[in-house]
Amino acid sequence: MKPVSSRVSAAGFSIVEAIGTLVVSAFVMAALTYGMGSLFSQQARPTATYNGEVYARAPSFDDFHQAVDLHAAFSGAVDAADNIIVLGGTRSHPAFDPTGPSSALSESFADTSLAAAADTDGFKAYSSWDQKQINSSQFSSYLTANPDPADFTILTVQGLSQITSITHQRRYTAVINGQSLALYEVTHQTVDWSSGSPVLTPNVTTGSTPTYTYRFYYTAAEDVWSMPPGATHYWYRADSTWDRDQEGPARIVFADPFALAGQDSVSSLSPVSRFVYFLPQLR
Amino acid sequence: MKTRSATHPAGRRGGRPLPLKSKRGMASFAVLLFAMVSVMILMANFKLNYAVSATSDGYDAFSSQVVEKNGISQAVKESVLAIGETAIADSANSLQQEIQNRLSSMAFGSNVTVTVDTASPVPSVPANPFYPFGTPPASSQPAYFSASAHTRPLAGMGGLFTSLCMLGPVGDLGRLTVTFDRTNSVSPEDNRTYVVNADLFSVPLTNVDVIAYGLPITGSIPSAAPAVPAGFFGSDVSCLVATSNNPANDPTAYPDLFASSGGERLPYEYRNAVSFSWNAYEYLWSANYQDALLGAALTPPNAIYNFSTSFDPGNLQPFPGVTVSPTGGSVTVDCSAVTGTVVAIVDPNGTGSVTVTGSPASGSPFILLVRNTSGVRTPVTFTGSNSRPVIFYLENANVQFNGNPQIEGALFLDPTTVASGSVTWFGHLSFYGPASPLGTLGITVADNAAVKSALAPIAPRVLLVSTNATR
Repeated sequence: MKPVSSRVSAAGFSIVEAIGTLVVSAFVMAALTYGMGSLFSQQARPTATYNGEVYARAPSFDDFHQAVDLHAAFSGAVDAADNIIVLGGTRSHPAFDPTGPSSALSESFADTSLAAAADTDGFKAYSSWDQKQINSSQFSSYLTANPDPADFTILTVQGLSQITSITHQRRYTAVINGQSLALYEVTHQTVDWSSGSPVLTPNVTTGSTPTYTYRFYYTAAEDVWSMPPGATHYWYRADSTWDRDQEGPARIVFADPFALAGQDSVSSLSPVSRFVYFLPQLR
Repeated sequence: MKTRSATHPAGRRGGRPLPLKSKRGMASFAVLLFAMVSVMILMANFKLNYAVSATSDGYDAFSSQVVEKNGISQAVKESVLAIGETAIADSANSLQQEIQNRLSSMAFGSNVTVTVDTASPVPSVPANPFYPFGTPPASSQPAYFSASAHTRPLAGMGGLFTSLCMLGPVGDLGRLTVTFDRTNSVSPEDNRTYVVNADLFSVPLTNVDVIAYGLPITGSIPSAAPAVPAGFFGSDVSCLVATSNNPANDPTAYPDLFASSGGERLPYEYRNAVSFSWNAYEYLWSANYQDALLGAALTPPNAIYNFSTSFDPGNLQPFPGVTVSPTGGSVTVDCSAVTGTVVAIVDPNGTGSVTVTGSPASGSPFILLVRNTSGVRTPVTFTGSNSRPVIFYLENANVQFNGNPQIEGALFLDPTTVASGSVTWFGHLSFYGPASPLGTLGITVADNAAVKSALAPIAPRVLLVSTNATR
């Protein structure tokens, strides 16, 4: 006598059963696809809209990819700059503003030249603080009120007057759908002087400015960093008599859209952004 | 042939429920499907994480290469300066050897080597001649974004460079290009070629209006910037002093970036300032340069007078603008009448005195060197205003300004020189930071572009270098 299993395996599906199976599996596949798609779009990467802009919840690979593009461009601009002006953050001057946070420039700032610097002695521009004084009439209407400690504006400048890039970081806090969120926005505008005149380089995908952007958010409980996003100014000396307002490199921490901040409560290591710079004001 | 239904009379055709084994088949298939979809999702998740990791690694590689190329750029700059800096001692090595020496002491990432590209010969460092050793390169006031008569545009060469290069006329010594091969033995896709461009300029020291210098080898550096009298800095005056970063030494310094352990090291941002305010003065007051000036003074139409030589009025060579007293103990220099390029007055025993009368009119620049190597200072008295650009090198002198004159020129005071009186100075002033004469001297320094231009052909020059690397 043959074993039972042998008889079962030899039986197979009837045509009707096979068709039925296909139909059922199609339904199952569709349901799973829809379900997982919903999971990715609504659970893994939910979004929030703030000030008319869409912010993805971190970790966001799309934003991470855009962040890498932005920082490659930012590094290039820093490399080619004569001066770097960092506005915002803490310790913008060791005596006059030791704690901050100081004002950044509004994101509407789109000037391509520093008018007051054209005739300035380079010796007098050894710090961002000095640059803010020298260009005060140009900057004053753009200086932000009540800045967040993570806010900053970085201008890369050639020849004391030509702005070659404008980079902003902004941190907003808001309650959206009952959740307390920390929203980060980083923009980088490249200014192309190769034609002799300034041209604001548009984003290759959208065709609009700024050149690069990434926006994302953390829930307030996750917005915990070992090195908080923002700018910290360091000083060698401040000597008004000998015109030696000598600012050292500023530590710039950009928010990282792919760092899981504060999620591992037992880990002794707090998250650190990949995008940390030690930027000298002059190079 | 039998049909399957015929072998299974209890099938659906009969309207009866499916047997258990058919239900098992359907359930197994559903589980299989679910498992497959789950695996696909896991794989997608894995690929996402892999993409993040790969992108992150790529960005890290990019960042480390930026650091690498900037380090190499700095090594090239130091190599050029080792050979051509205006300093008390320069290397006789080739530029390639200097770069090689620095490369060998640099640490790169694992599996990474950086070598000078053998297919691209390393150029030699051009000479930076200046008086009295040679004719300096033609100079002009540079601009940031356009070429001037003798210079390229400076934008992009760095603020630390341009702040010193934009102060007056400079000579353009050209660009040196050095190519490096960066090889990663494990990841050939990370192999790169770094190209370092070094831009060299010859800058007259007199372009900086005020320098409180230090002598790190033969003397000391100013621990803090000297106190200055009210009104010392006139309008648009550029000033330079490189002091200690230790807040304990310099009250204007902050501890933000100061490492209190070990010996103090100035950050690299101060490199150009050190070239101008330390190293150049070590050279300026060295026997090498001073003897060269004396040597030039021996050649007519220049003049030299030595107080220690037995005075013989009959043997005195007449020289326009220089009058020796009947006893031979004092010399008067009339700036309006001097015709040579160098007038040197040597006082090895500290027995003479010098009076300088100014010129009401401008004229060709010249150098007045008063050199005293004894323990007794030589009195040097300025008695009138002067509109003729003159470089005054005063060694171990006791300088007195009478009548608050207005003087155009460059005043170099050595570490032992003292000064008193009051004066308005148009042009350059430098003095030893650790022993400032400003406590007894009432002086106002004013920037003057015409004086800088006039002095540029005979002023000592500093090699200023900017390097930038591309990958």
